[in-house]
Amino acid sequence: MYAFDYHQPKSVDEAAQMLGAKPEPKLLAGGMSLLPTLKLRLAQYTDLVDLSAIDSIKGIERDGDALVIGAMTRHVEVATSDTVKRAIPALTTLAGGIGDPLVRNRGTMGGSIANADPAADYPSAVLGLGATVITDKRQIAGDDFFKGLFETALEPGEIVMAVRYPVPLQAAYIKYPNPASRFALVGVFVARTAAGVRVAVTGAGPCVFRLTDAEALLAKNFSAAALENFTVKPDGLNADIHATAEYRAHAVAVMLKRAVAAAGGNT
Amino acid sequence: MSHAASGEGIGQPIRRREDMRLITGKGQFSDDMNLPGQTYAVFLRAPHAHARIGAIDTAAALKMPGVLAVLTGKDLLADGLKPIPHTPLLAHPAEIIPENTDGTPVFTAPHYPLATDKVRFVGEAVAIVVATSIAAAKDGAEAIAIDYEPLPAVTDTVAAAAPDAPQLWDQHSNVALDARLGDAAATAAAFKRAAHVVKFKTWVQRITGVPMEPRAALSEYDPQTKRYMLHAGSGGAVRLKNDLATVLGVPSDDVRVLMYDVGGNFGTRGMIYPEFAAVAWAARRVGKPVKWLCERHEAFLCDYQGRDLAVEAELALDRDGTFLAMRGSNIGNAGAHTTNFSPLQKGVEIASSIYRMPAADFRARAVLSNTAPTRPYRSAGRPEVMYVMERLIDLACRDFGFDRVEIRRRNLIAPSELPYTNPFGMTYDSGHYREVMDRALKEGDWDGFPARRAEARARGKYRGIAVANYVDTATGQPRERTDITIRRDGVIDVVIGTVSNGQGHETTFAQCINEWFAVPVDKVNIITHDTDIVKVGGGTHSGRGMRLASYVMKIASDEIVEKGKRIAAHLLQAKPAEIDFTDGHFRVTGSNRSVGLFEVAAAALDQSDLPGELRGPLTATCDKVVKEAAFPYGAHVCEVEIDPVMGNVEIVKYTTVDDVGRAVNPMIIHGQTHGGIAQGVGQALLEHCAYNAADGQLMSGSFMDYAMPRADDFPFFDTFISEVPMPSHPLGIRPAGEGGTCPALAVTVNAIVDALADLGVRHVEMPATPERIWRAINGKKDVSIAKAEG
Ligand SMILES: Cc1cc2nc3c(=O)[nH]c(=O)nc-3n(C[C@H](O)[C@H](O)[C@H](O)COP(=O)(O)OP(=O)(O)OC[C@H]3O[C@@H](n4cnc5c(N)ncnc54)[C@H](O)[C@@H]3O)c2cc1C
Repeated sequence: MYAFDYHQPKSVDEAAQMLGAKPEPKLLAGGMSLLPTLKLRLAQYTDLVDLSAIDSIKGIERDGDALVIGAMTRHVEVATSDTVKRAIPALTTLAGGIGDPLVRNRGTMGGSIANADPAADYPSAVLGLGATVITDKRQIAGDDFFKGLFETALEPGEIVMAVRYPVPLQAAYIKYPNPASRFALVGVFVARTAAGVRVAVTGAGPCVFRLTDAEALLAKNFSAAALENFTVKPDGLNADIHATAEYRAHAVAVMLKRAVAAAGGNT
Repeated sequence: MSHAASGEGIGQPIRRREDMRLITGKGQFSDDMNLPGQTYAVFLRAPHAHARIGAIDTAAALKMPGVLAVLTGKDLLADGLKPIPHTPLLAHPAEIIPENTDGTPVFTAPHYPLATDKVRFVGEAVAIVVATSIAAAKDGAEAIAIDYEPLPAVTDTVAAAAPDAPQLWDQHSNVALDARLGDAAATAAAFKRAAHVVKFKTWVQRITGVPMEPRAALSEYDPQTKRYMLHAGSGGAVRLKNDLATVLGVPSDDVRVLMYDVGGNFGTRGMIYPEFAAVAWAARRVGKPVKWLCERHEAFLCDYQGRDLAVEAELALDRDGTFLAMRGSNIGNAGAHTTNFSPLQKGVEIASSIYRMPAADFRARAVLSNTAPTRPYRSAGRPEVMYVMERLIDLACRDFGFDRVEIRRRNLIAPSELPYTNPFGMTYDSGHYREVMDRALKEGDWDGFPARRAEARARGKYRGIAVANYVDTATGQPRERTDITIRRDGVIDVVIGTVSNGQGHETTFAQCINEWFAVPVDKVNIITHDTDIVKVGGGTHSGRGMRLASYVMKIASDEIVEKGKRIAAHLLQAKPAEIDFTDGHFRVTGSNRSVGLFEVAAAALDQSDLPGELRGPLTATCDKVVKEAAFPYGAHVCEVEIDPVMGNVEIVKYTTVDDVGRAVNPMIIHGQTHGGIAQGVGQALLEHCAYNAADGQLMSGSFMDYAMPRADDFPFFDTFISEVPMPSHPLGIRPAGEGGTCPALAVTVNAIVDALADLGVRHVEMPATPERIWRAINGKKDVSIAKAEG
C-alpha cells in the first residue's frame, strides 16, 4: 500500500468538496474491492475519502412503486431486510449470495455498482430492473450507467447516493458461481415490470448487458417454455481459465431459463 | 489413577490439547515473533518465465528513505553463499533408486537463494531489499532496474522433455533423470500373450499446498558468537538448520532454528526455501534482525508446488481379467530447479498398487521447465499412480465387460502372499486388502447403489459410484531420536526431532507417554521447536511423525522403566527382578511396597547412596535408523451426482476404510482423513496451478483463480479405521496422514465416469470441471485450461 491521507466526512457535500480539492482522491466505501488493489500497489491515491460516516446515504426505503437503497447500505442489510424481501425478493437472493459473511458485512451496494466488476452481482439488478442511479449531481438511468470493464457513467468526483429500483411484478436472479472466487461466472437477472420484461447478464461479458432477443420472447410469453430453443452466441463473451466463451454462452441460456422458472414464470 | 481410568492413552479419541491455544489466537507462528530493532525484507521477483539477467541498477533503490540494503545474486556469490543442497532422490534403504539408463549421473542444478545468471520461472527471487518498514522495502524494490533478455519458455510437462524445447540449464538438457524400472522382456512377453490390453494417457495436473499460515522468517546474526538464529516454520527443524548452514557456508552448530507452531506443510513446506537463507544472510549484512512475511500472491507464485505428472500407461489382462503386466512412461515436472524427484520415484515403484502384477516396465523421466519447483505434496507420487492404476482397471471393465469389484477381488494380493515383492522391487509387508475393500463396499452400500441411481435419474441427475484401493509407501528420513526425561516436578520432557504442522503431535505423542507412564497428557512436554535442544531428527513427512516418534519413544521409555526398576529396587530394598511397573508406580511383586515414578526421579537426583550409574536425571535417549518402509493401505468408495445440463458434480457420499495399524487417537485420524479427502478431491475437481503456455505466466495467482475446495463442496464423510498391526513397528503403527488423499483422485474421477457411462463418456481429465464434463457429455473436444484463453 502506498501512503495516503484518510478523511471521514460527515456529509455528501463535505465529501464532494474533498474530492474537488485533493490532487488524486478516491472514495472509500466497504473497501472490499478497493483495499486489495491498494495492498497490491496496483493503484495509488493521495487521499481516501471514507463515506462510512454519512448517514444520509445509508438505508432501505419503500417509496411507492420503488425500493430506494442508499449507496452505503451493506450487502448484509439488503440480504436480511424484510422490506427488500417483500418488495424484490430477487435482491435478497442476490445480496445474500455475494462473497462470504465478512464481505457482506463490509461491502456496499454503491461500491459494487461504482466498481462495475464484470463478474459482480449488483449491476445485473440495476440493469435488469431498469433502476435509476441517484448521484449528488444527477439521476442516471440503469441502461446508461455501465459503460464497460470497470467503467461507469460516473464523472470524476461524482458520488452515488442511492439506487431507485422499480418494484417488479416478477423477478429472479440466478448465479452460476465461479468455482474459485464465487463471483458470477454467469449471473442472470430477469424481471417482468410494468414497463416490460428485462433480462440482464453479468459475468459473461466485459460488462453487464441486456439480452434483448430473450426479452422479446419473454414479453410474449413469460415462461421457460418460450425459451426452449433459445441459445446465446459465444461471440464477444469472456474466456478465461475457468470457462470458455462457449460454455458461458450455454450457461447464460440455462441460467436464464432457471431464472424465469424461479420468478414464477408460467410453465 | 490408572491410565485406563484417565482415558487418555493409546486408542482414546481425546480432544487436541493444542486447539484451545490455536483457536484463541495464542499460537506462536513465525510471523508472531518479533525482535527489538528488527528490519523488514521484501523480494523483487522475476517478471519473466525465462530470461538472462543483465545489468542490475540498485543505486536509486538504495537512496529510497528507510532502505538499508539491496542484495542480488552477484552479492551472494561474492559472499560465498552456496546453492541449496538438494537430494532429489530418496535414499531410504527401502526405496528403489532410479538411475539414468545411459549411466550418466542424475543432473542436479545449482539452486541459489537469489537468481544469479538467469531467471527460470515467474516469481523467482532476484533481489532482497531490507528496510525499516515493509512499505519502504517495497519502495526500494520498485526502484531497482534490471535489464532482462527474455528467452523462450516452456511450462508444459511433455513439451519440456522434447529435444528442441527451450533449455533451462546450459550444462544439461531439461531431462534431468531418464530411468527405466521393472523387467522389459518379461513385460513384453506378457503383453504378447494378453487377451486384453487397455491404454490410458493422462496428465495429473499441478497443484499447490496452500497452507493457512504463509511462509515467514525472522533472522538475527550475533557477531560475538558468529551464530545465526532463524525463526521459520518448516517440515523439520534439524534439516532446516543443516541446510541453512550449508547455504551460508558455516558449521551447522552456528545456526539455531526455532519453530513453534506451523500452520500447514503438506510437503510443499517440507524443506528450506531460498528466502530463508537470503533473510539470514541479509541479517548478517545489515547487522540487524530481518523479518519477512510471504504474501499470498507470492505463495501462489513461488511456494514449492506439487504433482504435475504426465503418464502413458497400459495394462495387460488375460481372458478372466487377471493382470499380467503393466507398462508405461511417467514424466514428472520438476519445475525450474532439481529440487525433488521423489514423487516420480514413489510414483513408479508402487504403480502396480496392491494388485498381483507379475511384470512391469516403466520409463521415468524428471524434466525441468519454466515453472515453480515441485516437491512431494501430500502423499507424493502415490495418489498419481493410484489414479492411473484404478483408471486402467475401470477402463478395462468398461471395454471388456469385467465387473469392477470382481476384477479387484481377483487381483488383490491375498494375506497368504505377503510379504509380496511387486514388479518394481518394493516389498509390501502386511495387510488384509480384500477384507478392507469389502468393508468399504459394505459401508458405502455398494449393493444398494442401483436403486439410488434409478432414483436420481428420475430427478434428471446422473449418479455414479466407484471404489478404489491404495497403498502408500512411507519412508522418508529414516533416522529419529528422542530424549525423554522424568522430572521430579511431575512432568515428563520429550525432546523429539519431528515438528507438528497441525497434525496434533502435542496430543498424540503425549498419549503414548500417558499409556506407558500413566501421567496425565497435560504433564507431558513435547519439545520440538529449538535446534539447540533438538539435535537430531527427520521432521514430519512421509508418514513418519507418529510412526518414528512412537518407535523411539517406546524404546527410550522401556529403558527408563528398566532404570527406574533398579532405582526402585534400591529404595524398596528388593531385587530389580521383583519390581513391577504399573500405573506409574514401581511395586515389589506381591507386596504393597511401592514408589512413584517421580519419587524415583527425585531419588535419582538426590540420593547419594545410589550406585553411581543410577544417579542423575532419570532420562533415556533413543537414536535410531528405521530401515523398513511402512505400508498403510485402504479403500475408498465415492458416489457422485451430476447435473447433465451444466456438468456440475456433487459428491453425495464418501466412505473410507484406512488401515493405520494401530490408531493412537481415532478422532485425529478421522480428521486427517477428512483433510486428505478434501485435498484429493480438490485435485480431482477444482485445483490447478495454471501456467500460460505461451509466456509462462501463472494464471492462478490468487484465490480469485485458484479454486480451493470448501466445506460446502462435500457431504459428511463416513470414515472407518482398520487396525491390522504393522509387523515391523513395535506398536504396530502405520502412518495415517496420507490415506485420505491417496485414492481420492482415482475414486472421484472413476465415479464421475461411471455416472456418465450411459452418455458414452470414457474419461474426464482433472480437474474435472463442470465445463470439461459438459464437453464430454456433448462430445465436444476437451479444451485444456491453459489453451482456453482467448
Ligand atoms: C472475497 C470477496 C468475495 C467477493 N464476492 C463477490 C461476489 O460474489 N459478488 C459480487 O458482486 N461482489 C463480490 N465481491 C465484491 C464486493 O461485493 C465488494 O464489496 C464490492 O464490489 C465493492 O463494494 P465496497 O463497498 O467494498 O467498495 P470499495 O471497495 O470501498 O470501493 C469500490 C469502488 O467504488 C468506488 N465507490 C464506492 N462507493 C462509491 C460511491 N458511493 N460513489 C461513487 N463511487 C464509489 C470506490 O471509489 C472504488 O473505486 C467480493 C469481494 C471479496 C473481497
